[in-house]
Amino acid sequence: MSEPVLAARALSKSFGPNEVLKGIEFDVHAGASVALCGENGAGKSTLIKLLTGLYQPTSGHVEFNGKREAWSSPRASLDAGIAVVHQEFSTIGALSVAENIFLDAEPRTRFGLIDRKALVARTEALLEKLGIHLSARSLVDDLSVADKQMVEIAKALRSDARVLILDEPTAVLSQNETRHLFKIISELRARGLGIVYVSHRLDEIFEICTDITVIKDGVVTSQGPVTGYTHDTVIAAMVGRELGNLFPEKAHGAATGTPMLEVRDLVVADGVPPVSFKVKAGEILGLAGLVGSGRTELALAIYGAEAARGTVLIEGEPLDYRSPSSSIDAGILMLTESRKDDGLFLNSSVARNFAATTPGHGVHPARVAIGHEEARARVMKERFGVVVDNVGLPISALSGGNQQKVLIARLLENRPKVLILDEPTRGVDVGAKSEIYKMLRHLADEGMAILAISSELIEIVGLCDRVFVMRDGELAAELMSQEISEEAIMSVAAAETPSHHGVASNG
Amino acid sequence: MDDVLRMTRAQPVHLVVLALIGLVVLVGMYSSDRFATPLNFANVQDQMVALALVALAQTVVILSGGIDLSYAGALGLLTVVFASIAGEDPASFAAAIAVVLSLGVFIGAVNGGIVTFVGIHPLIVTLGTSTILSGLALLITRQPTGSVPLFFEDLVYGRIGMVPYGTIFTLVLYLLAGFLLWKTRLGLRIYAIGDNEQAASISGVPVKSTKLIVYALSGFLAAVTAIYICGRFGVGDPRAGVGFDLKSITPVIVGGTLLAGGRGGVLGTLLAVIVLALLANVLNFMNVSSFYQWIAEGLIIIAAVSIFVGRKSK
Repeated sequence: MSEPVLAARALSKSFGPNEVLKGIEFDVHAGASVALCGENGAGKSTLIKLLTGLYQPTSGHVEFNGKREAWSSPRASLDAGIAVVHQEFSTIGALSVAENIFLDAEPRTRFGLIDRKALVARTEALLEKLGIHLSARSLVDDLSVADKQMVEIAKALRSDARVLILDEPTAVLSQNETRHLFKIISELRARGLGIVYVSHRLDEIFEICTDITVIKDGVVTSQGPVTGYTHDTVIAAMVGRELGNLFPEKAHGAATGTPMLEVRDLVVADGVPPVSFKVKAGEILGLAGLVGSGRTELALAIYGAEAARGTVLIEGEPLDYRSPSSSIDAGILMLTESRKDDGLFLNSSVARNFAATTPGHGVHPARVAIGHEEARARVMKERFGVVVDNVGLPISALSGGNQQKVLIARLLENRPKVLILDEPTRGVDVGAKSEIYKMLRHLADEGMAILAISSELIEIVGLCDRVFVMRDGELAAELMSQEISEEAIMSVAAAETPSHHGVASNG
Repeated sequence: MDDVLRMTRAQPVHLVVLALIGLVVLVGMYSSDRFATPLNFANVQDQMVALALVALAQTVVILSGGIDLSYAGALGLLTVVFASIAGEDPASFAAAIAVVLSLGVFIGAVNGGIVTFVGIHPLIVTLGTSTILSGLALLITRQPTGSVPLFFEDLVYGRIGMVPYGTIFTLVLYLLAGFLLWKTRLGLRIYAIGDNEQAASISGVPVKSTKLIVYALSGFLAAVTAIYICGRFGVGDPRAGVGFDLKSITPVIVGGTLLAGGRGGVLGTLLAVIVLALLANVLNFMNVSSFYQWIAEGLIIIAAVSIFVGRKSK
């Protein structure tokens, strides 16, 4: 076998005591396309950053064209011939398509000035070659998200790359655009480029990839030609692991409580079918699905933070005016996805953060009674096991797990009937996770209805009594107690649908 | 056509500014028959040059996603230094120009260096340097001091018809800046880092050195402004820059450049400088207190930005 264009040799990366990647071996041959599979947080992005020089490895090294390389920056790897299409767009809205594609590599006249004519001509030639129909002079601001992605791809291919790395390139593309991208990829492979393809959509991987590398928890768990795999074996390699006793025992049998929350014909966005479901008292309902499948949007719509049509009922009573504050009054509380952006007042004390939503408590609603914050904070420490020496410390001094406990405890101050949690344990260590899971189960046992969103499948499987798997904004499947498994969720979540490309599978 | 629009960075808000210019001129002609005279138009231009120059510097800084508040102190110090060195003979005049231009670039490079390498917000950095520079200027002298050669004063006051040399000089600098932003790699880098610094960095744009150059350029233009101010007043005044920190931002914003960076251009700034100068002139003719001028200026800032925001949110 010929030697690989790009390879990782015993590549490891640690952030402090955290070992994110361990001894990765990874080959990309000319003309091959390698799928990089793994759950969120498995280490795929870190590997890409190591391959392109954005991070430096802790041990091991990268080989390019058989030579050992230590890229000092993405620029160095790009100049050598490794092109990356990033998941986060790196297009610049204020510049035109041509200016974006050739940013910092603009053709120049002999006086060192930008040769505008050549810039447009070369862009048009490149777009023509790739079959992308965009005007070189349009402002990127005016393009659709999919077209911006096409600009990204063209930009990656502006010079003669040897390897092209695509990180979730189809996430924002329509069926036709995905088809077109695949055609481009095939042509590039025929020209001898090596492709690294990261995607959650298994059907795509089986369609255009020649090899598969599966990463789980920072190690390669499975590797080989795509012909040796089926959907199920890939998923098994991605998720197979022990649950342990991280999770409290689930409710026995189907929940029998009264419906606390009911959603009737809720339409979150145009073109998405209405959503209806109930959550019973004592039940933890999970919302699973890929990032972008519409979980957060649905939760925000129920909470009243995002416009939607339809009815939301609490204990059978429809809520007529939909806003977060009326939801709170009715007993729906929500923990948002990003605690730093929209949960915490980072520079304020633990006590003040905790008491922020309950300033009154019997006094005038706009007045904070003297000693109120401290008194409530003592209750919080005792009841929720928040570890803090002094409630006067700024909350930013606490660990992620303790911050999250403060936030959940704060929600409970308003005596909710329904609790919506978006990624309740993001950025939280395992010990605190376990405590949060116990807390949630305890609350459910007391009669609360809980709706939990999580990208960590293990969390959904371990915690929830019932699961809805979302895909393209709709509830694609409902899984009951025994049916809930990581494999079952993934096979629904990552299935192809008519609104994406390909033929609908049985999902 | 696309290219012409993009090259000039013309925006719909410029039509509003042009309409305002027309309106102010009409009001001026109606309120005084001395308004529409060559002498008055030349006066307006003389009053406008210094602001036009600092606003040009500020435009480039804001386009790159930064801000420069150091003009207040920098102009004071630079005029004092210039007028102290420039005597009557051409040799000391040339020396003064060389010293002041280098000092301006140095001040800008220090601003840019602290912003990029220490990572402090430019608002804080330049506010700090401005205060330091004011202090330095006042340590050198409390009173307006020094002198400039007569031939230089003559040059600054000279005009062709009703167009002062200062106006021509300013227009040339605006054209050069527009050329820089459209035709050079530096220009595209400025827009790129102003719009999305991280995306620019991923794309291989040298963010740090670009910022450093932008602030150095800003300092250079501040030095040019200081030399012009010395020519106008014949002395160096440690308080020459007072108010120029915020005054330099007004035309940039009224001219449609986004305070967050990445959008806009120098044409809008020039139009806005013209409308502000004409407005002050007309209100003077109408014997309106300068306090009302402030109120009018404030209303224009808010109105201009509202129009811009309204257009964007569609």
